[in-house]
Amino acid sequence: MDLKAVKLLLEKNAKKTWNPLGVKEEYCSMWAEGMNFPERGEVLLYTGCLYQMIPYIDMFARLLKGFESMNPALFGIAMKIKALADSLGLDTISLLASLEISKKDRERYFRIVRSIANALLSAGVKFAYMREEPYSGVLYHDLGMDDLFREHVMRLAKKIKETGARKVITIDPHTTYMLNYLIKEFVDDFEVEVVHYMDVLLERGYTPKVRGPKEVVIHDPCYLARWNGVIDQPRVLLSRAGVKVREPEFTRKFTGCCGGPIESLFPSLSSKLARKRMEELKETGSPCFTVMCPICLTNFQREARELGVRVFDIMEVIE
Amino acid sequence: MTDLTGVSQLLNKVSDDPVLRTALDRAISSYWKKRKQVMERYPYVKELADEVRRIKEWSIDHMDELLDKAIEAVEAKGGKAYIAETAEEARKIVGELVGTGKVVTKAKSMTTEELKLREFLIERGNEVYETDLGEFLVQFLGPKPMHFISPSIHLTREKVAEFLKDFMGVEVDKDDVEGMVALVRKFLRDKYFSADVGISGANAFAADRGAVFLIENESNIRLSISLPPKHIAVVGMEKIVPTMSDAWKVVEVISRYGGYKVTSYINTVMGPARSGEGDIGPEEYHVIFLDNGRREASKDPILKQTLYCLRCGACQYLCPVFGIVGGYWAGLESAYSGGIGVMWEYITGDKETSTQHAFACLLCGRCIEACPMRINQPEVLREIRRRLMERI
Repeated sequence: MDLKAVKLLLEKNAKKTWNPLGVKEEYCSMWAEGMNFPERGEVLLYTGCLYQMIPYIDMFARLLKGFESMNPALFGIAMKIKALADSLGLDTISLLASLEISKKDRERYFRIVRSIANALLSAGVKFAYMREEPYSGVLYHDLGMDDLFREHVMRLAKKIKETGARKVITIDPHTTYMLNYLIKEFVDDFEVEVVHYMDVLLERGYTPKVRGPKEVVIHDPCYLARWNGVIDQPRVLLSRAGVKVREPEFTRKFTGCCGGPIESLFPSLSSKLARKRMEELKETGSPCFTVMCPICLTNFQREARELGVRVFDIMEVIE
Repeated sequence: MTDLTGVSQLLNKVSDDPVLRTALDRAISSYWKKRKQVMERYPYVKELADEVRRIKEWSIDHMDELLDKAIEAVEAKGGKAYIAETAEEARKIVGELVGTGKVVTKAKSMTTEELKLREFLIERGNEVYETDLGEFLVQFLGPKPMHFISPSIHLTREKVAEFLKDFMGVEVDKDDVEGMVALVRKFLRDKYFSADVGISGANAFAADRGAVFLIENESNIRLSISLPPKHIAVVGMEKIVPTMSDAWKVVEVISRYGGYKVTSYINTVMGPARSGEGDIGPEEYHVIFLDNGRREASKDPILKQTLYCLRCGACQYLCPVFGIVGGYWAGLESAYSGGIGVMWEYITGDKETSTQHAFACLLCGRCIEACPMRINQPEVLREIRRRLMERI
């Protein structure tokens, strides 16, 4: 993979759609159609679009892996990169749109987001939601593209401010960390309280119901457990619903990474890391894994069939 | 420079190697087990690590001042101190001290690996032996030390048995690790007595007394540096701490986080043998303080934390990427390995290659949990990425 091409691709897509994969903001909000959330309010639900983007991330990852596995002797690296930049950089949107994410593909992830929103509603939380929801920008930061990240989060901060929110509820670990810590290094007056939805549910004394398997092995997402310190929360929610939780050898603060974060630059290595971690999880004796991060979900999901396991988001296990 | 294909191919290839995978799996699970036992048995070590972090922070901020004190202390005891600004300068100093046609015994040391000192001395017509068992294997089997304290982490006992059988020309039982250790010991025993020079690094250096601290398990260091008439210690400038008591704290933290319930030996060397007082040991004590990018890094607000690294290897054992690619991460040309290795290489060696390797980090942060100094490797590695991304 060539970093120049990656940078170019991300910049081009950002310019067109404010999204690294060219996913449109109205798509990010599509899950909420018919739910009639207000656009302004004291409390804002901000999803960061990461769950919604899974089908696109997945498609992109498969594509990249294809590029990576081409024989370089037959296909000059430069050509690969150029092809990548041309086909994706210029036309990610039309390319992905032409492949079209099937309704079924996206429905699973929309449903997870809806399930979170519904749990919050059932717990008595009132919140606003943006009709065209921006991505969090976290990938730009991870890659060291600080200029793009700054531009992105300044716009995001402004949009959040426009909703009148003083408190933002987040649903994934990366967006949570970004809003809690990173954005403050780049935006001066970002003074909203950021809280993960599980904390909100616990604070409200919410008791979920079982929706999926009655026994799961828990995989702590790195950014949730280590960077945001959300460790007991999912366990409490699962146990309130009566779900039995198995702990792998490397768990809580010592949890193992799903490999997802290097998926765009080292796709094959990323899937090997996923497998390694999944084998650790499987050793607990349970074939049902629960994760609480869209990146873990998609990275594990791709390997799940071959390993004979099933991967659930926590909001597919409980509701 | 911006094409990661080479890095990606290297890491992909080695991650498919079943021998490497077996070796890493065994080493990592054994470390994890030992680490849990150590933490249970010595619960105070976390607080001690926090204290050492404060000592290191202070020491890195006062590097020049400590360096002056250290040099003064070494010379007050009759030793000789040198400052090497670059790797080349360091090799030149050692080259002149050793000469040619000599026998050199070496203690395992990452800093001398950074200098490619063994290769340099051999090229100048010396016979050089690594005396740490793991490092001895790396000397003959390559490709490089694959871990800070476990340099042959990439080799299975089966591989080692195969090598020793050829090298020593005797039958070797692959399940008799003790027997293999004994074979190498016997081979090296003669070398200690015929050696002209012993070379070591330092796990810590106490500025107040001019003392090198060396941790070991095989008693090879003791023999390598006390039997030959000349001892040369190569000390990275980040190793200097103010006092003997600070240095003791450093070595305890290193060995505990390295997974040792009991470290067999800790050596302190404070100077040459004094004549007429019945002292045994080398007549000459030379200490080379190595800069090679360290002073510059000590002034960099983000890179600086790399210098707190004690090289205990805990982060390498617990890094998911290291777990499948081992020491190949950071590249074969670098003496250093893993995410922390990328950082060390960036400071002391090849900025271009290390920058490329910086992109293989997951930013998952398990290294921070593993590290006694809580070095934020993701922060440093991301910073290295940023420096490239903003100019391409």
